[in-house]
Amino acid sequence: MSASDPMARNYLDNTSDDPTRRAPLVVGDNDFASVTETVCRVVEMPKTPPAWWIGFFVSVSLAGVLFAMITYLVTTGVGVWGLQTPVAWGWAIVNFVFWVGIGHAGTLISAILFLLRQKWRTSINRFAEGMTIFAVVCAGVFPGIHIGRVWVAYWLAPLPNQMAMWPNFRSPLLWDVFAVSTYATVSLLFWYMGMIPDLATIRDRAKSKLRFYIYGILSLGWRSSNRHWHRFEMAYLLLAALATPLVLSVHSVVSFDFAVSLIPGWHTTIFPPYFVAGAIFSGFAMVVTLAIPTRYFLHLEEVITLRHLESMAKVMLATGMMVGLAYSTEFFIAWYSGNAYEGFAFLNRAFGPYAWAYWIMVSCNVIVPQLFWFKRFRTNLVVLWIASVLINVGMWFERFVIVVTSLSRDFLPSSWGYYSPSIVDVMTFVGSFGLFMTLFLLFVRFLPIVGMAEVKGVMPQAHLKDVAAQGHGDYHGDILTERGR
Amino acid sequence: MHYWRSFDELEQAPEFREAVKREFPNDEWDRLPPATRRQFLKVMGASVAMAGFTGCRWPKEEIVPFAHRPAGRTPGVAEQYATSLELGGAALGLLVTSMDGRPIKNEGNPLHPDSLGALPAVAQSDILGLYDPDRSVQPLLRQSGQDFVKTWDDFASWAEGRITDSGAGVAVLVEPSSSPTVERLRRRFSDVFPSAEVVEYAPISRDAERRGTAIAYGRPLRPHPHLDRARVIACFDADPFFDHPASIPLSRQFAEARKPSPDGISRLWVAEPSFTITGGRADHRRATPASQIPRVLAGLARELVATHHLELPEEAVNLESAFGATIFDDDFIPDLAADLMEHRAASVILVGPAQAPEVHALAAVLNQGLGAVGETLSYTDAPDPGRPDHVEALAGLTARMVAGAVETIVILGGNPVYDAPVDLGFADALSAVPNSVHLSHFNDETSRVCSWHLPRAHALEAWGDGRSWNGTITLRQPLIEPLYGGRSSAEVLAMLLGESPPSGHDLVRETMDGYLDAADFEASWKRALHDGVIADTAAPAVEVALDGSLLAGAVASLTEMIDAPAPTVQGPELVLRPDRKVYDGRWTNNAWQQELPDAITKTTWDNVVEVAPPTARELGLKEGDVVEITSSGATLELPVCIVPGQAAATFTTTLGYGRTAAGSVGDGVGADTYRLRSSASPWGAAEVGVSRTGKSVALAITQDHFAIDPKGFGARNSRIGILIREASLDHFLADPEVFHHMDHHPPLISLWKDQKYPGEQWGMAIDLNACNGCNACVVACQAENNVPVVGREQVINQREMHWLRVDRYFKTEPGVGPYEVDDAEMVFQPMTCVQCENAPCEQVCPVAATQHTEDGINAMVYNRCIGTRYCSNNCPFKVRRFNFFNYHKDLTDTEQLQFNPEVTVRSRGVMEKCTYCVQRIQKVRIAARNDNRPVTDGEIVPACAQTCPTNAIAFGDLNDPTSEVSRLREDKRAYATLAELNIRPRTQYLARLSNKVGGSEPAHHAPAHHDDADSHGKEG
Repeated sequence: MSASDPMARNYLDNTSDDPTRRAPLVVGDNDFASVTETVCRVVEMPKTPPAWWIGFFVSVSLAGVLFAMITYLVTTGVGVWGLQTPVAWGWAIVNFVFWVGIGHAGTLISAILFLLRQKWRTSINRFAEGMTIFAVVCAGVFPGIHIGRVWVAYWLAPLPNQMAMWPNFRSPLLWDVFAVSTYATVSLLFWYMGMIPDLATIRDRAKSKLRFYIYGILSLGWRSSNRHWHRFEMAYLLLAALATPLVLSVHSVVSFDFAVSLIPGWHTTIFPPYFVAGAIFSGFAMVVTLAIPTRYFLHLEEVITLRHLESMAKVMLATGMMVGLAYSTEFFIAWYSGNAYEGFAFLNRAFGPYAWAYWIMVSCNVIVPQLFWFKRFRTNLVVLWIASVLINVGMWFERFVIVVTSLSRDFLPSSWGYYSPSIVDVMTFVGSFGLFMTLFLLFVRFLPIVGMAEVKGVMPQAHLKDVAAQGHGDYHGDILTERGR
Repeated sequence: MHYWRSFDELEQAPEFREAVKREFPNDEWDRLPPATRRQFLKVMGASVAMAGFTGCRWPKEEIVPFAHRPAGRTPGVAEQYATSLELGGAALGLLVTSMDGRPIKNEGNPLHPDSLGALPAVAQSDILGLYDPDRSVQPLLRQSGQDFVKTWDDFASWAEGRITDSGAGVAVLVEPSSSPTVERLRRRFSDVFPSAEVVEYAPISRDAERRGTAIAYGRPLRPHPHLDRARVIACFDADPFFDHPASIPLSRQFAEARKPSPDGISRLWVAEPSFTITGGRADHRRATPASQIPRVLAGLARELVATHHLELPEEAVNLESAFGATIFDDDFIPDLAADLMEHRAASVILVGPAQAPEVHALAAVLNQGLGAVGETLSYTDAPDPGRPDHVEALAGLTARMVAGAVETIVILGGNPVYDAPVDLGFADALSAVPNSVHLSHFNDETSRVCSWHLPRAHALEAWGDGRSWNGTITLRQPLIEPLYGGRSSAEVLAMLLGESPPSGHDLVRETMDGYLDAADFEASWKRALHDGVIADTAAPAVEVALDGSLLAGAVASLTEMIDAPAPTVQGPELVLRPDRKVYDGRWTNNAWQQELPDAITKTTWDNVVEVAPPTARELGLKEGDVVEITSSGATLELPVCIVPGQAAATFTTTLGYGRTAAGSVGDGVGADTYRLRSSASPWGAAEVGVSRTGKSVALAITQDHFAIDPKGFGARNSRIGILIREASLDHFLADPEVFHHMDHHPPLISLWKDQKYPGEQWGMAIDLNACNGCNACVVACQAENNVPVVGREQVINQREMHWLRVDRYFKTEPGVGPYEVDDAEMVFQPMTCVQCENAPCEQVCPVAATQHTEDGINAMVYNRCIGTRYCSNNCPFKVRRFNFFNYHKDLTDTEQLQFNPEVTVRSRGVMEKCTYCVQRIQKVRIAARNDNRPVTDGEIVPACAQTCPTNAIAFGDLNDPTSEVSRLREDKRAYATLAELNIRPRTQYLARLSNKVGGSEPAHHAPAHHDDADSHGKEG
């Protein structure tokens, strides 16, 4: 966009790359009050819109399907899935890794981008963190139910017991238990803690006693005092520092489930960084998939701006390229190592019975993000949304390719097999989306989906009186929104 | 509307009972099934609220302790008894393990000449038939379409009224039996009722061999090859390792003759229409349609006479006119002829029972001419020399039945309605006979046509006797009272003679009078029962002389056979063979046999039609495609299984499936190929119609289909040579390290500290040079370790539970694509948990449910397992088996009696696998510790090793350098599979040796180039 023609574009478009002017992080004629109003309006709607009810009904039904499938599974046996002898892990583990991966974006946005002072994160971090929690909930469903004897799943925990047995600390599955539960705990804390000032805002605006008490309890007596803010920001910083390594560790540990084994196609040292890149990739894709409809339906375009989406597209482009690099590195190493089994494992992926899955994965994860080289596509919401969905599809297939194709043909050709999911596998996966969307819709309706306090902190108004900051800070007094000029 | 006066009446109402049964199909409706009870207990334990809950009915079980312990019996300690079972007209000696009065496992009797301690799979599985809940439980009388439950006494008095005077109009149809008691009773029956006829029939018999020897020598003889003495063995459509009553001694002799020796090993030549396990061991194999076998044999004879100037015995010279110009464009015949000439008197030619008598006669002549008789082949007189052929006898009987000459027919065993040749119309003839009686284990196809059905005692329930293939008297003693009051055929014969109730025990003792030491009968009787055999009762070898006149008479029909046109895709040939699992259909209701993967096709729960890859390509057939085969006026649909090594334009299928009254396991499994079987050509037909139906089915195959994508095909072929190492004997003798040169991997180091083994540490060695893939070990393992049967659907889902499987691979030349294969060689590898020292499974189990024991076994702790299945994923051999469901839920109480109490029955959701039969190890070890002595080598024998016909499996202590297994692992042929993974398997394999003419080695198994960075040699 050229500076000489400022009015040619929609005021919502803040994607200008003009280096002389800092792009605003919130657009429109917004001040602190209007941001509060925009965000709280969603929570305080006197009447739930029918669209929400429809979405909620569908989601709850699907979540019901999930629990029905789990009940059937637990009462009948793991045989209701399509698993078999060479492929003893199937969709359940694929789904687990898929959901855990999605759960990476939230913490990455809130913790790592916070530490890196990427202020644009503030509009989307709450939302992304919520998504993280829900994705981890969905992920957590699978390892628990996929075991043969669900009723003794607690043996995975290092509980003192009459058998005087510890779990096997050499097993990556055990590391997984620790990694995912730690991640879930920290993410939940981080999310909740960051929400406290906003919960207090809702409490203060409450018109009914019930709301007042519920949000009052949730906001833990927040009074917005100077001391509160001081403590809050320090704690937030600390939690961010604590969560940052977890972002990297949790998917690294998940990847150990595979990398530590000796199955060709699993036993590769590239897995930890490759998994983390893939997780961020899929996490951002999921944030975009959810953000585009959410900002549209809840009229949050001025807060979750086009520039946010564009930035996420750029992250997807970068991580998509990393994933693509990992794919090619795997092939190179498979050839370069001279290991016949590994060489075959990769040729088999690309040209064997599961080639269809492999090429879906490559198309969605490597080819589709190439669109984001072009600003036209990064800022086109339809393209962006479809691409983000495709990336989610591709990332699910990446896990499928890793888990299933490697197992289906390992060392002894006599034991090779072909795995197909059963209807229960499919319904369980679909049901997990129901659970995810149910939680997400409840979140949208009852909790502040944008971190109001944080967004206000990056608005120009916050820096007006900060004379000291004007000379060398981020904001050069260019406080007017495009519309306001 | 249903009216009722009381709840009692309502409960008794059939509709109500029916409804309950429909609702709870697996429930005894007045008691809780065990699983529910256990779940109930859990709930009880967990819930205080339910503490006061009463009124639940518990099954009443009375415990009857042995207050007075029977002599020689300790509760909980297994005993073994010698007994026998009859198969194919010969008795197989058994040692049956009995636990507290219930027989649980069939093993071979080491003293018996046909079992030598081993047993074929079918004979082991037979024990499952004892506990089959589908067995018939009472005599039934069928009158005006209704079944009436009767007693044996009812039958006795009925029989007394029917079979009277001279027995006119009475026919007795019996199965072939080697039993001296049955023979004696048959003779007595014929004496008492001279007008009654006794007919013998079995669908699968060796009558062609009898008639062939009769043509050659003037009287029916029984040939006994001695494969240990033969340096050259030529099999023409013969499968001595499976389809022979003496398959075990023959397999063992061959394995002995293949042990590497500087003097050379024997060489096996096979010409056959479809792969058999014998063909799998062949050094040279020629896929030949069954109709062309006479031509190939004649070609051999011509080559021997014309090229090598072999002089045929003068009685047989006129056969030469039949040979004609039988010249083939391959080297099989010239090479075989040269080999035979080089090893005169040290070679033997075998012809299979499906070939015509004239072909047997020709083989007998050649054997005679090559000097085999008396060296590698001996003859004994065939029993009952005067009897007609089975098919002929049944045809005669049927004709008399149709003519109304038979008033009363008593069928003792067998299932002729199902398995008689279709053109005889036996079923219709039988239903027209006014009085018919069928003695059978099941209320089967024949029983349903007969007016009387009598429950037959299982072999383990009845007294009896028999003769081994070489004539050795073999006794049979019951291990258990008849579960359902069944009686043996000898007992029923005795009943027909007026003896009621008959005593099998007395009948057998009476017969044995003639064979045992009369001076001290009791002692020798006890001794015979203990041993299971009476020593030195084998039939003597007889001197034979060719009969020129009979041979001359065979020239014409031989010429006709030799000139038979080769089958073409337009006029293909159908080959019918006994099934390797259900045989003639008698084990169709045996779940172990149904789920046993066929040795060659690896199919379960089905009979398939084997088709050669080029024929399949020409007809556009794919694996699982259903074809329609028309022969003898009948049409049958069968799924296709593409097998390399199958003769072109030849469609082979097996008998014994498609039954309609076999029981809940066997009904409707496969197609009834007896419908294609005529009395004129019982083993197949020429010029049959084959057409595609367009339908396709999923075959329950336990191993990957043969033709797969080119990438997978190439990878598989490149791996087989390393997994199953093979070299020619010459190569091995020249370079004993040849098998170790095939290892290519850097030095193997371990992250972990090595475990120390101060006591024993177990190991196993499997000799691939001995294994012929017969599947006996698979069933032995299943029986010993309570391995569940999962059923057809679950096999299709690749969830079969066999702890031990036999991997079968085909070998083709490199560069041949999956869709270009015509012929292939075959190799076998028994695969089970190799008990890795660096076990990948142990490291990944999060709950430490699989652990190394102090004697080196990779133990599976079932009650700790939570079923993550990570161990299975990480197992490079994929030998771990997961209980996807509760596979024992639907077992009846009777079926549970078969379980081995020494082995845990695994619950749903746990992993299981081979334990090296840890229960057997512990049993021996505890006994040794009690005696304060070390365990001696060979004392512990896992089930698979115990039953191996070729002694291919050795087990023992690796810490003992003198043990058999240590010795074998020092053998230059020993290698560890997948050693490059540094898993250090405790089971090692001994490489195969081939012995092709000229010592050529399969080119693609030549050791590849390697550099100094590679380490050679064995691990672990």
